Amino acid sequence: MPITTTRRQLLAGSAAALALPAFARAQGAIKPRLTAISQWSAGSDGAAITALGKKFEEKGGVWQHSPVPGFTTEMMNKLRAQIMAGDPPACSQLKGPEIAAWSKIAPTVDLDAVVAAAGYEKVIAPDLAKLHKPGGKWIALPLQIYSTNMLFLSKRAMDKAKADKIPVTWAEFNDLAEKMKAGGVPYPIANGGTRPDDGQKFEAALAGISPTAYRAALMNLDKKALEGPEIKAAFVQVRKIADWMDPNVGAQHFSTNLKRFVDGDMGMMIMGGWAQGVLRNAGFKFEDFIIAPGPSDNGKPVFLLNADAFIFWQRKEPDLQAGQTLMAQLVMDPAIQTMYSQITGSIPVRTDVDLSGEGWSDGQRRTAAALKDAIASNQAVLSLAHNMAQENGMTAAMIDVITEYVKNKTIKPEQAAVRLAEAVESSR
Amino acid sequence: MTIAVSTTPGRPAASDWVRRLPEYLTIWVPLLLSATHLIAFTLWTIWISFTPSTLVPVSGWVGLRNYSAVAASRNWQIALDNLLLFGSAFVLLSLATGLILAILLDQRIRGENLLRSIFLYPLAVSFVVTGTVWSWLLNPGLGIQKLVRDLGWTTFRFDWLIDRDMAIWTIVIAAIWQSSGFAMALFLAGLRSVDADLIKAAQIDGAGPIRMYRRVILPTLWPITITVIVIQLQFAISTFDLVRALTNGGPGIATQLPALVVYDLMFQRSLLGRGAAAAVLMLLILLAVLLPYAAWRYVQRRRAIHA
Repeated sequence: MPITTTRRQLLAGSAAALALPAFARAQGAIKPRLTAISQWSAGSDGAAITALGKKFEEKGGVWQHSPVPGFTTEMMNKLRAQIMAGDPPACSQLKGPEIAAWSKIAPTVDLDAVVAAAGYEKVIAPDLAKLHKPGGKWIALPLQIYSTNMLFLSKRAMDKAKADKIPVTWAEFNDLAEKMKAGGVPYPIANGGTRPDDGQKFEAALAGISPTAYRAALMNLDKKALEGPEIKAAFVQVRKIADWMDPNVGAQHFSTNLKRFVDGDMGMMIMGGWAQGVLRNAGFKFEDFIIAPGPSDNGKPVFLLNADAFIFWQRKEPDLQAGQTLMAQLVMDPAIQTMYSQITGSIPVRTDVDLSGEGWSDGQRRTAAALKDAIASNQAVLSLAHNMAQENGMTAAMIDVITEYVKNKTIKPEQAAVRLAEAVESSR
Repeated sequence: MTIAVSTTPGRPAASDWVRRLPEYLTIWVPLLLSATHLIAFTLWTIWISFTPSTLVPVSGWVGLRNYSAVAASRNWQIALDNLLLFGSAFVLLSLATGLILAILLDQRIRGENLLRSIFLYPLAVSFVVTGTVWSWLLNPGLGIQKLVRDLGWTTFRFDWLIDRDMAIWTIVIAAIWQSSGFAMALFLAGLRSVDADLIKAAQIDGAGPIRMYRRVILPTLWPITITVIVIQLQFAISTFDLVRALTNGGPGIATQLPALVVYDLMFQRSLLGRGAAAAVLMLLILLAVLLPYAAWRYVQRRRAIHA
C-alpha cells in the first residue's frame, strides 16, 4: 500500500509540474500568436503584410500567415473550408458587405473595447465604419483605402491636345477627350477589358453625376433611384467613354496598355489608386502622368471607397486571443497604417494621418485630401465594382449588365437602365 | 464488368477464392471508392440544388426556386445558346478535320510518324495553355491581324475575339486545333483496320480512290464516328478552362458556357444553391447525350450476340 500512495503522489506531482508553465502563461505571460490568411503573397501587397508581420513579432508575437495567391474568391474558398471544418483562422482578409454575410456563418470577435480604447471610430469615414460593425459591434477592421475613381492623365497626350487644365466635371472631361482625339491621340481613354474595369467606368460616371443617386441606387438599391434619370445619364456617359477606348484590348488587364498610355497613344484612365504603384513598378516616372480625383459635376470630389480589412474569428486558445488583440491594436495604429500604405501606394484609413512627410507621393496626398473633402460633403461612397457596395451575388448581377453594355454598342442607355433594375430585382 | 466466370461447374473452391483475392481487391475496392465518390457527390449536389444555400451548404427546402432563377438568368440563356452553337460547330468541324487528316495520312506517305505526332501533339497541351496562346494569336492588336497588316494588307480584318457575335467561333477554332488530332488518331486506326480483301475486291472491280472511300471504306467507320461524336460532345458540354483562358466569357458575357456559369455562381457569387442547380442542369444535358449512346451500344451488342 505505501508504495502505491507514493506512486500516486509522484504522478500527481509530475502532472502539476507539467501543468505549471501552461498555468503561468495563462496568468499573463502568454505569447500572442496569430493565424491569418489573405491573398497577399507577392509584390507590394506581399511586402506590406510581411512588414506588418515583422512588427507583430517585434511586439513579442508569433506570426503565422498563410497567403492564398490568386483572386479574392480563392482566399474565400480556403476560408470557407476552414470555417466548415471548425478551424477558422484567428484573422482573415475580408472586405465590404462580405463581412456581414460571413459573420453569419461563424462567430466573430467583439472588438468594441479595443476600438473604443483607440478612439478609432472618430477618425474614419462613417460609411466605412458601418461595414465593419454589421450587428452594431466591431468585428472587423479596415486596413487601407484605395479610391476606385482616380483620373490618370497622360502628360504626352495632354501635350498633343495642347491642354493643361485637369478636367473637374464630366463635361470638361468629354471636352478634353475630344481635344485629344483631334490632337492625334488615337484612343483618348486607356482601359482594360475586365469586368471590374467596366464596372469602374459606370460607377465613376454615376457617382460623378450624382453621389446622392449613387448612394440610393447602388448602395441602398432603392427601386425609384434605380429607375431614375441619373442611371440613364450615367449609361450615356459610359457609352461616350467606351467609344473612346481601344476595342482591341478584349479582356486584357488594364496594366497591359500602360506604356501606350504614357506614350500618349491613350489619353486618360479612370482607375483605382493602385495604378500609381503599377505605373511606378513598370518604371514610369511621376512626370509621365498626373493623378486627380475623378470627374464630379458639382465640383467637389467624389470618393469611391475600396478598403481592405481584416475580420477576426472566435478562437478558444488564449494565445490566439491575445494575438487578436495585438493585431487589432497594430492595424489601428497610425504608424503601422503609414508603413503599410507607403509600401502599397494606398492611403491610410485614418483621416488624421499627416501625409506631408517623405515617403508619400503627390497622388497619395491628393487622394487623401479628396477623401477628407468627400467625407465633409458626404460624397464618400462605396465602390460597386470592387465589392464594397453589395454582396458578391448582387454585384456580379449588376456588372453583367454593365459589361455587356460596354461591349455591345447596340444596347441603348434606356435599355441598359431597365436591365440593371431588373438584374437587381431578380437578385434580391 | 465481365469478370471471368469460373468454368468449373458448382461452387469454386475456397482456395480459388483466396488465390483471386488480389484480383478482387484491385478491381472492386477502387471501383467502389470511385462509384461512391461519384454517386455521393452527385446526390449531394442535387440535394444542395433544392436548398437555400449561399455561402455554405445549409439544409432547408426551396423547391425549384434555384432552377427557375438559373433558367431565367441572362447568363444561363446565353450559355445555352452558345453551347448549342459551339457544340455542333465544334463536333462537326473537328470530325471533318480529323477525318481529312486521317485520310491524307493514310496514303502511305513518308514521315507519317512525325506528322501524326505533330497533329496529335496539341492534345498533350493543357487547355489553359491553348486558350492563352490563341488569345494572343487572335488578338487583333498583337496576333494574326497585325501580322497580315504589317505584311502590307492594311485593310485586313480578323477581330473575332473582340466581336461579340463572332467571339464564340474563336473558341471553336482553338478547340478544333486542340482535339482534331484525337479524332484523326481514332479514324486512322479505323482506316487501318478495314479488311484488305475488301479493298482489293473493290480495286479489282475498278473502283477509283474517291469511290473507294465513299462506298467501301467510310461506311465501315461509322461506329468510330459515333464514338468520336459522343466523346467530343461531352467535352463540349463541360468546356471550362479553354474558354476561361481565351475569352473569360467575354466580350461582356457573349461567350458564356454552362460550366462557366456554374463556377461563377458557386465561387464568385457565393450562391451554392443556384450553382448546384446549374450543375444539375448540366448533368441533365450530358445525360441527354450519353443515354441514347448507351442505348445504342446496348442494341448493337444485342444484335452482335444474335448474329
